[in-house]
Amino acid sequence: MAEAKGHDYALFLGCIAPNRYPGCESAGIACSKKLGINLHPMKGASCCPAPGAFGSIDLNVWYAMAARNVVIAEKMGMDIALECNGCYKSIYEVNEKLKHNDDLRDMVNEVLKTVPDPTDPTKKGTMEFKGTIDVFHLIELYSDPKICGPDRIKESVTRPLTGTRIGVHYGCHLIKPKKERHLGDTENPMWIEELVAALGAEPVQYRKKMQCCGAGGGVRGYDLVHAIDITNEKLGYLHDAKVDAVTEVCPFCQLQFDRGQIEIKEKFGKMWGLPVLHFNELLGLAQGMSPTDLALDMHAIPVDPFLKKIL
Amino acid sequence: MAKAKGYSDPKMEEKLKDRYYYREYSNPDFTKKVHDLARTVNHMCFQCGTCTGSCPSAPRSSYRIRLFMRRNVMGLEDESLTDPDLWLCTTCYCCTDRCPRDIAPTDVIMAMRNIAYQRGIVPVNFLKTVQAIYQSGHGVPNNDVNRAVRVRLGLAKDPPTTHSYPEFLPGIRQIIDHWHVKEKADKIVAEAEKHG
Ligand code: SF4
Ligand code: SF4
Repeated sequence: MAEAKGHDYALFLGCIAPNRYPGCESAGIACSKKLGINLHPMKGASCCPAPGAFGSIDLNVWYAMAARNVVIAEKMGMDIALECNGCYKSIYEVNEKLKHNDDLRDMVNEVLKTVPDPTDPTKKGTMEFKGTIDVFHLIELYSDPKICGPDRIKESVTRPLTGTRIGVHYGCHLIKPKKERHLGDTENPMWIEELVAALGAEPVQYRKKMQCCGAGGGVRGYDLVHAIDITNEKLGYLHDAKVDAVTEVCPFCQLQFDRGQIEIKEKFGKMWGLPVLHFNELLGLAQGMSPTDLALDMHAIPVDPFLKKIL
Repeated sequence: MAKAKGYSDPKMEEKLKDRYYYREYSNPDFTKKVHDLARTVNHMCFQCGTCTGSCPSAPRSSYRIRLFMRRNVMGLEDESLTDPDLWLCTTCYCCTDRCPRDIAPTDVIMAMRNIAYQRGIVPVNFLKTVQAIYQSGHGVPNNDVNRAVRVRLGLAKDPPTTHSYPEFLPGIRQIIDHWHVKEKADKIVAEAEKHG
């Protein structure tokens, strides 16, 4: 899908970025554009749907709803780009599963037949999963030298994040399970650190870097104290490593680390006050966007201590 | 699970209670059903414990993924499905990446949860997400504070999803209704709320 003007993708938004951290969405679109990645809205897309909730209850509904979202992009004739690990789990994984399992694809298509067409909601019988597109997380497009790569990111930086120490939280569903993904090592990956370094910041290693944020699998809703206890452990290790901020590539992890710190204060009496930034927000700052344009005021934990170091 | 010995002293009864498993506790169909749903070689587990050792939920609860793997091989359906720990897996896939037998324990848990749901055993928070998606197409829907911020950022006040195009909601509801999930969710949630 490479063109002289850049690379075009259908942008799958999901829920938490557009509805809780809209700065992730606006930064994703604006920053990608500067990197030659054009994102096009997917009209009528829904929740991915939430892999923890739907996957736990009825995998068939999960396959079919995710497939409906994939088909919207198939009809646009574009690969999908997205910015949330949870969405990646649903959209990437269902796309691959349906491509490789005829029984699942047939089952899903049987249901999709009755669903309205995204180009014309009065039309039915035209929705069919064909398996014609691929699904990418924006961060892997940023990292891929054929699309963008760290050098190009570096060139786009107008306000280097010099003097800041940043810990990377990869999250789970972007890279795990590794044999169903294609993004390499899951014990100590370093490719997002390379992108953080391209922004001028110092990426910092910390204990249990690959541990889950604690929110997934419906655990945040099922047992909040259990979920934030996992988060609290990671925050402690990030604190030990003296980071100025933690960056992630998943608005759900972001919610867990950001609002989670308020909940940790309530339940455990400890206030870490660690700024949490989606990589898109970090990239936006480095490309010169203002904190207001990034809606950083929507964060539960003030980002100001981090901003003071770079503004 | 254990058979009573009939001692009058409850302490003695507890101490000497029968710790054997009997054939009647085992449902081989359960192992098979999990296999079909999870699409993983669940029966290959040799109980090494690498999964529990990798699990972020294990150090802070009684949840042991290895135990669920064993119960699965033994066909201990009731014991698996009625254990509240079933819902403490964060689906982080650490165990899956490390299992030396190439099993996906995470997917075994997801399959067990699916079977539990079929039997009406399911925490309500899972069902509430289903209800939210049925209502608006989003698990986490928009709100007015966020709409104002979106406008400030130069975005449409609602994203170009089902929020802006509600005409697609009937199609999504059709998918959910095909498996009667909303119907069942409403019933279980109403029941749970009645009992406080
Ligand atoms: S790591 Fe694999 S083989 Fe070892 S106990 Fe867990 S599921 Fe069984
Ligand atoms: S996927 Fe679930 S069982 Fe496996 S390590 Fe993670 S939390 Fe534990």
